[in-house]
Amino acid sequence: MMNVEKLREIVGNDWVITKREQMERYLVDETAPGVRPKPADNVVVVKPANTSEIARILKLANIDKTPVFVRGGGTGLCGGAVPTLDGIVLSMERLDKIEEVDKDNLMIVAEAGVTLESMLKAVEEAGLFFPPHPGDEGAQVGGLVACNAGGTRAVKYGVIRNYVKGLEAVLPTGEIINLGGKLLKNNQGLDLMHLLIHSEGILGVITKVILRLYPRVASSGTLVISYDNRHDAIDSVPKILQSGVIPLAIEYVERDEIETSARYLNMKWPATKGKAYLMVILTGANDDEVYSQGEQVSDICEQCNAVDILIAETGEEQSRILKMRSELYSSMKEQYADILDVTVPPASVGVFMDRVDEIAKRFNTNIPNYGHAADGNLHSHLLADLQDKGIVRQVKREIYQEALKLGGVITGEHGIGVIRIPDLDLCPDGKMWELMRGIKRLFDPNNILNPGVGLLG
Amino acid sequence: MLRIIVPIKQVPDMSQVKFDTEEGRVDRSSAAAEINPFDLNALEAAVQIKEKLGGIITTISMGPRQAESALRDALSRGADDTVLLTDRAFAGADTLATSYTLASAIRKLGEFDLIICGEKTVDGDTGQVGPQIAEHLGIPHVAYVSKLEEVGEKLVVVCEMEGERYLIESDFPVLIAVTKDINTPRLPSLRGKLNARKAEIKTWGAEELSSIAEKGRFGTQGSPTRVHRITIPAEEGRKGRIFRDTSDEAIEEITNALYRYKG
Repeated sequence: MMNVEKLREIVGNDWVITKREQMERYLVDETAPGVRPKPADNVVVVKPANTSEIARILKLANIDKTPVFVRGGGTGLCGGAVPTLDGIVLSMERLDKIEEVDKDNLMIVAEAGVTLESMLKAVEEAGLFFPPHPGDEGAQVGGLVACNAGGTRAVKYGVIRNYVKGLEAVLPTGEIINLGGKLLKNNQGLDLMHLLIHSEGILGVITKVILRLYPRVASSGTLVISYDNRHDAIDSVPKILQSGVIPLAIEYVERDEIETSARYLNMKWPATKGKAYLMVILTGANDDEVYSQGEQVSDICEQCNAVDILIAETGEEQSRILKMRSELYSSMKEQYADILDVTVPPASVGVFMDRVDEIAKRFNTNIPNYGHAADGNLHSHLLADLQDKGIVRQVKREIYQEALKLGGVITGEHGIGVIRIPDLDLCPDGKMWELMRGIKRLFDPNNILNPGVGLLG
Repeated sequence: MLRIIVPIKQVPDMSQVKFDTEEGRVDRSSAAAEINPFDLNALEAAVQIKEKLGGIITTISMGPRQAESALRDALSRGADDTVLLTDRAFAGADTLATSYTLASAIRKLGEFDLIICGEKTVDGDTGQVGPQIAEHLGIPHVAYVSKLEEVGEKLVVVCEMEGERYLIESDFPVLIAVTKDINTPRLPSLRGKLNARKAEIKTWGAEELSSIAEKGRFGTQGSPTRVHRITIPAEEGRKGRIFRDTSDEAIEEITNALYRYKG
């Protein structure tokens, strides 16, 4: 079992927490309260300073067979950071140094505990740009990589996976490995780095990452496009992409939800007309390029019955709109039993939403949707009253089945974590899960790292 | 129908702009230029009055030729007319020469009822130009206006200064300088913006103002103040301290810190 004294020897007395009242915030994450797993009773929080301390902790845990739960910013939405068994919470918060912003190679080298907020600041100060915006800026880069975060701004350059060029990790057996590097091409053997990206922390503890950066965009604008009818909004999306304009982001939101987020932030949603909206972020080498794209997008959207198109151009106005979108989840999570993360082929979003509507009708409820329209990734909200009726799971599984029928998956960006394991039986099984379990055993023979997360069985 | 004038300034986007701490100056090339955020509140206040009572909104700005884009932005947000004051003779102006030049242009524009300014600019941060314009024109002014109570025969506004709220009544013509609390500026429509990008911007130089202004009061020549040095204070980061054996000391330290920052 846990050897607290040895943990103190490794990280120093100040960095081991054993009192429950001092560790409450290490026991939860941002998962909707209705489905959030309960933390175990006997937990120790350890805050190592560097990779070698982490290696020593994992060696010790592996010998003692103590479960270790890795914790970044705690912004995950699927219970992956909650210690569900007695064991160690390994907090990465002290690995918070940005080693280098390499302007020549357009890359940043950062320790895993650096927050998205401080990384974005460093990147901006260097005059560079990190395109994706997975939402809560309290997230840590190690967590972003371990969970392959998505979020807004993934249309043009992709999700976090597309940015990771190298990483350092500690294996559950205590060895340190370095994968990839400041490289844009690397065919040297099987790609273990991409196996660790979105491993949800079950294969190793990511301690350092190398991420690709881009030059700062010279000009950008955010369009807020209003529609009276959801279908018109959704129909516009493939047409925009077919036109050759590739926005940084295309987000779909509905009035009630975005206004809830605006109120939560003490802000005001700028659109007064319509009830379904697309938020489209355009970037270009200069204002003329942004406006010419804007004109193209507006022609398409007007043909699809858009009733109003606004543009935010100043930094402040654009960041307010992004903030309202990014905080949607936080503003609503207390009111909902569960928030889903289904992804379908992008052109099937409209059909999928119709099917969700049919399910809502059948269960006599309302299921609002918002999400990353161009990525086919939608967040359906299950109201708290479904929980009172005891039918959250039933409704959720029907939605999952519809997504799977369309060739989709039950999670596109939030991950399996703990909360989606009971529904993995719906997903195609066969050899896939068996191989994944084999890989887990190879990396972690004693199943000490994030046990119960991410895998069926 | 009210004739409303909104003076605006083009400023760097302060969320992006970089400071050269050694030279003590703002590196304007590091960030995009945009309308001073407080001026957007002024323009929105003007547009709301116009929507209610009818009116004509003229925006004026003093600056280099590039400031045209700020005036075009103002047109897309509801301004009816614009004037850009641009001339080498206006360069290097402090707040006095700036307000004199703007006031001279307002005189040239003819009769007006109301001037609405933002409370200050985010790059200069003095809050002086608005009230100085009123002084040059010999009209009353109210600064730090957070609410318009009444716009009719008279103007009644709420002014918030030094923790107090004042209800102030004034005759027209009058100048007010508004705070961010007065409204949330609306976004321009894309079509409006596309049209405004093609609009002709009227420009006046020192020559155009010469019949009503003294040239010696423009630009560097008309500026009694000089900026010798700008110091950018170092940002204080987050600090952590560990109290090991006693919580009493920690509680006292935290309480003291809270009192200290409450001011």
